[in-house]
Amino acid sequence: MTTIWKNPHQVWHAAKANPEAPTPDWTDPTEIWRKKRTSHAKLYKVGRLRYYHKWGGHGAKLWSRLRYWPTRRRVLDIRSEYNPKTQRVEKTIVDKRPIWWMMALMALAVLPMLTPGEVANTLLGAATIFLIYSAINLCWTLVIGTAGIFSLATMAVVGAAAYAAAGTSVFWGWPWWTMPLSGAALGLVMGVIIALPAIRLDGFYYALLTLGLNELCRVYVIQSKTFGSATGGLYGADSFIPQSASQSTQLIIGYYGSFVVLLAALLLFRLVNGRRLGRILRMAPEKREAFAEAAGVDYRKARIHVFIITSIALGAIGGYYASYFRGASPSLFSFDTVLLGLAMLVIGGLGRAEGAVLGTLIVVFFDKVLIDLGALRLVIIGLIMLFVVLFLRRGLFGIKEQFRTWRDKKKSEHRSARAEKGGEMLPEEATETEDKDELYLRRFDKLTRDYLKTLVTDEVIEEHRRSPLGQHSEALERLLIYFRRQPQVDKYAITVIEPFKSYRIVALSGHRGVAPRVVEEKVYTSIHDAYHGVFMRRVQDLLES
Amino acid sequence: MTVSQEQVARGEPILSVNGLSAGYGPMRVIHDLDLIIHPGERVGIVGLNGHGKSTLFLAIAGLTGWQRGSIKLSGHEVGGTRSQGPGRHTHKVVRRGLALMPQGDEIFHGLTVEEHLDSGAFTPKAWRERATRKEGVLQVFPPLRKLMQTPVGRLSGGERRMVSLGRGLMADASLFLVDEPSLGLAPKIGKSVMEALFAIELGSSAMVIAEQNVALLEGRVDRIIGMHVGKLKGEASASLAQHNRREA
Amino acid sequence: MDFGFIFITAITLACIYGTLAIGISITWSSLGLVNMAYGFTFSAAGFGAWYVGRLAQDLPLVADYPLLLGAIVIAAGIVTGALVGVMVCALAFIPIHDKPEFTVRGLIATLAISLIGTQVLLYMFGPRAKPLPTLFGDWKVSFGDIVITADKGGSIMASIVLLTLTLRWMTHSRRGLEIRAMMMNPHAASLVGIGVRRTGFYVMALTGGLAGLASVLLSQTYFVSPFAGLTPLIKGLSVALCGGLGSVQGAVIAAVILGFNEALTASFLGGQYVLITQFLLIIAIILVRPRGIAGILDRAREA
Repeated sequence: MTTIWKNPHQVWHAAKANPEAPTPDWTDPTEIWRKKRTSHAKLYKVGRLRYYHKWGGHGAKLWSRLRYWPTRRRVLDIRSEYNPKTQRVEKTIVDKRPIWWMMALMALAVLPMLTPGEVANTLLGAATIFLIYSAINLCWTLVIGTAGIFSLATMAVVGAAAYAAAGTSVFWGWPWWTMPLSGAALGLVMGVIIALPAIRLDGFYYALLTLGLNELCRVYVIQSKTFGSATGGLYGADSFIPQSASQSTQLIIGYYGSFVVLLAALLLFRLVNGRRLGRILRMAPEKREAFAEAAGVDYRKARIHVFIITSIALGAIGGYYASYFRGASPSLFSFDTVLLGLAMLVIGGLGRAEGAVLGTLIVVFFDKVLIDLGALRLVIIGLIMLFVVLFLRRGLFGIKEQFRTWRDKKKSEHRSARAEKGGEMLPEEATETEDKDELYLRRFDKLTRDYLKTLVTDEVIEEHRRSPLGQHSEALERLLIYFRRQPQVDKYAITVIEPFKSYRIVALSGHRGVAPRVVEEKVYTSIHDAYHGVFMRRVQDLLES
Repeated sequence: MTVSQEQVARGEPILSVNGLSAGYGPMRVIHDLDLIIHPGERVGIVGLNGHGKSTLFLAIAGLTGWQRGSIKLSGHEVGGTRSQGPGRHTHKVVRRGLALMPQGDEIFHGLTVEEHLDSGAFTPKAWRERATRKEGVLQVFPPLRKLMQTPVGRLSGGERRMVSLGRGLMADASLFLVDEPSLGLAPKIGKSVMEALFAIELGSSAMVIAEQNVALLEGRVDRIIGMHVGKLKGEASASLAQHNRREA
Repeated sequence: MDFGFIFITAITLACIYGTLAIGISITWSSLGLVNMAYGFTFSAAGFGAWYVGRLAQDLPLVADYPLLLGAIVIAAGIVTGALVGVMVCALAFIPIHDKPEFTVRGLIATLAISLIGTQVLLYMFGPRAKPLPTLFGDWKVSFGDIVITADKGGSIMASIVLLTLTLRWMTHSRRGLEIRAMMMNPHAASLVGIGVRRTGFYVMALTGGLAGLASVLLSQTYFVSPFAGLTPLIKGLSVALCGGLGSVQGAVIAAVILGFNEALTASFLGGQYVLITQFLLIIAIILVRPRGIAGILDRAREA
């Protein structure tokens, strides 16, 4: 551990100097710097930055020339750049969602051919319901997510339109292709009526009102004789499915009809959410409406527009519903239907198309496919809903984002809560400091002190006690040089009370004309003791910092 | 008016903050701060906007986004490391004897002034003696006497401030944290509010007043502590501060 | 037309709706939670009352005093309601009350609880409706034209007594002050030493108890069944909405207005038009005063 240091001045027989002294082993002062400068963060191959697969070759221009007719939207957002290292061209798909959508839609398109025979009927029936409800939920997402109107009257609009369309067909004998149209017409009327209070009411008042409206429709339909309070619904409407066909053919026709409805709903979502109306509404998110208004955005009008457009679409879906089921039943208005619909929206994530579709898939799977579970399936749906709401901020599709936010929050909290006394200056403090050299000076000082602390040992103190002046070992010299270099403010000094008899340690004020202050009452009898006293105080201050 | 030696010697500070860091999300506002408040002291904290005076008070009450470090209130640990749920433990800290009079008026619009003062005396002991306490508050802020049955929502800014401060004084607290009592008030009214605060008999409790304007505090508090970028910078007993000012 | 009958029906309905609406109103304004599980609380309390009533029927003392049975059943309803309220609070309020988007998530969480709870009730008690024993005996008082039967008189008395007690408690006690302070400014409330979570439990127990009372009273005319909670929930919500969420006086006035509307519509136009006229009335009120009747009453300066 210790080596013996020999005083080189001994050759000249320096007076009072130590001929030799035990001293700690030499350590590399730069070691601490090197340790500090190496990164402690683990490096992963993938993960810190977002990972994009790169494919080689030219062709990005071609992709950007390809547009959906009649819009000017690109099919895929592809970026191309030269790799700075290899000097080759690389292509990156920036947004992969269109690919996922295409794959999902293609899977849906071929689904009827892939279902195994024995469960085909259940599965196709459930899938058709999934398609219809997806379409409804896409419209609902537009109302809640895009327009920010918390309406629960969606099913009321669908149901009313279904009843109206079924009525035109049953009582007046209109053909099936008029049913979505008459449904849409009723949707327009309903939309205007329901949108009226939305101008004045905000948020939850509106949710409660629309929930009541839904109940109003249900009670009216149940008690009305014309709408089949006795027969349990209004049935016998014309349908696009020929009754003469076999059951499986009927199911497949119904399935593809509903598939078209879903595609139309997706298109509507895209047109409303992705274009002018959606952009206006994104400028006016909740609680920041006043700001948007001040910037000249008429968000109220945009909201009402979205609401009425979706009401028309919902009406058309209602008409289609009546045509598919050959009628309508009061269960459309029941509280459970609203609840399940809301569950679909919430599980996937409010405000996004993929969320609405995925949520519908999950709920319909539990509700219609696992029908053997009985009442338990509703409990399961309820539990999933509760879980999602309690733990996830924006549904299943928000998990990634939520996790990232959480990780960043933890990281930044950890960073800013780290207390290194005297070392690094934190950004908040650094921006306020006028002299930026201060930043580096502090860091340097911290590292120097860290090294010097390792040098303070009993041997070094003993060496200093024996001879405070003169040549010392390297460890002690380093310490003394550091101490001597300190600024004048609060630097220790020795004042003579009586020459050669009594001394006292003081601290300099650092200002001309201001007397030093006494730091301790102790009186030293010799200058050497006083030197050592100052040294010990400084060592103590160093170790404490 | 300095802290008598035996008060210091009696030990047991009312508030002792040790190594407190606090902030909101990625922003750290308080850096590793130490502070000790003794019984009977009236301390002023002076600093510019955004240098952490309010955050210090909020951190003591547990209302910041996150915080770490020890906060001892009358010997009980109320701090510790916390990274979520601001305000979740505030009521426990308040029950330990903290009265925070926050910046801006955190008042209950619909309650009358009397109910408001009652709500301040929320700890069981204070609730029992709320009549005498109310009388005490009315002595400090006499204009409130006429307004006792008025809803607070209809008062003027100065009156609201009095109600807000009075609510704090109703509590059975050993430590009063007053955050910018003169903010947003006309200078004359602000001054009278400050005078009322200085006139309160502290007894064994202590009061910390955060303020931007040093002139309002000078000579009236025992210590003035400067606050700069989330750290306490320089402390001066009130007489010294006054002396320096005269020199300059 | 028997105006005395209409009047008494209207007052009875107003009392029961008022009890429901005040519960919803207090929950919303003090906790910021739209309690959609109120309907579930309602039917669960009904079942609790029914179950206790069936057990108590056989006790020797109860058989002699039928009014005692009524008291036991009412108490059982209130206690069950309060317990369910506490459960809803623990599930839907405590975990998320300081997270972002609490209002939407709270609403959906309570909806999920109501979905699950209704199924559990259905599983435990079956779909058949259960009658409650007569609560207030069998008597009749007539003031000239107006005849008050036992069930109506009892309902009016019970709800008025309990509502008055609740309101007095709210205005005069320390806990009541706590709840009202939370209603006005939750942040300031925590500064004076009010624990949000604990107050949450008080509020939900109180409103659950009110729902239980309303449930027992309404079961005099309707029956107890797992799905019975929906209509009262909607009625309570609309009364609370009409009166202005958070205002107790507003809720009382709205309850009287809607009670009369219901009684009048039912006797002049027929039962199926009740909801229609009710909603037209609410929309009319809301369009004039977006914050309901409370918007007219409230003169305090905002912010």
